[in-house]
Amino acid sequence: MSQPSPAREIGVDRDGRRRYELLDDTGFDEVPKKYRKFYRRWRGPGDSLAPNEAFCPVCKIVVRSSRELREGDKIYCMACMTRLRIGLSDDGILEARAVY
Amino acid sequence: MTDDIHALDEEAFFDEVYTFQHWFDSVEGYLHDTRFGRKHPTSEVPSEGRREALISTLCNYCVGETAALEASSGLVVIAPNRALKVFLATQAADEARHLEVFYRRLAELGVHDPEAEIPKRASASLLEFKRSLLELVDARDWDAAIFAQNVVLESMEFTTFGTHMRRTDDATADMLARILRDERRHIGFGETQLGRRLHADPVLKARLSRVRARLDPLVLASFTESLEALGVARGDRPELAKDYLQTVGRLGVE
Repeated sequence: MSQPSPAREIGVDRDGRRRYELLDDTGFDEVPKKYRKFYRRWRGPGDSLAPNEAFCPVCKIVVRSSRELREGDKIYCMACMTRLRIGLSDDGILEARAVY
Repeated sequence: MTDDIHALDEEAFFDEVYTFQHWFDSVEGYLHDTRFGRKHPTSEVPSEGRREALISTLCNYCVGETAALEASSGLVVIAPNRALKVFLATQAADEARHLEVFYRRLAELGVHDPEAEIPKRASASLLEFKRSLLELVDARDWDAAIFAQNVVLESMEFTTFGTHMRRTDDATADMLARILRDERRHIGFGETQLGRRLHADPVLKARLSRVRARLDPLVLASFTESLEALGVARGDRPELAKDYLQTVGRLGVE
């Protein structure tokens, strides 16, 4: 089920974060064309998130960034127009939370 | 504007997304080259028993979409600023489209007079929900009406349409898949707007809890009936309420 996401690792930031080139096209068609590379559909059980990806808890799609995500990062889900902050779950897993 | 969406500041992001231009550029991706909301070319009609169930379900969807069309149109008048008025105008356009494509599908299924058929098949609880929602709009109660429409109704529709889509004919599934894409905007809008208001006004939480206690059994009952009509086993239905409960949980409206 899990398929490679169309992103290529291109190096590391000064703060040690991996950087990615987001490749078109993920097949996501719900936002304006120039922003589509920042999103993809969740493929269900068997899918997994890359270090630069987060699951939108509001509308259940995958939000992608050009850098590895860390706790405290702010990202946007354009499909449901929600601002998200990356937090740590009780299990110590990174998760996106809606910010109002 | 930067091409990295996540580099935008909050003001720039919301200035971008609450516009008709954003709506045009978004729906173009999944509605271009469609006819009455579908790319699937056939007008296949299911076997008789399934056809009857599908007609009843679509009639109830029409009640929900009519409620949302009338409510979102009314909410344009009382929205507190221009950006929110513009967003709600796009939502009204979405709801009108949904109603139109459901009517078209009903015609393909042999329903020649939906205006007469819908009242015969509509769930009493959904009709009651519609009446209550429109009363909140008439009373100019912005927070309660957005909660009822964009959180309660839209969350239930989001889950119900998604469940239905996975177990129906290709033509209906294609239509529902494109409607679901619109619904993402509606649920996100409701949650963000109410999240901000709840943060600024703690008393609002208790008031919305009372609205929820009154309304969500109505809409939950109606969509449970729809799933029963579609033959979704009871054991497969817990997902129906899960997304909705997660949403109200995030907002703290218990």
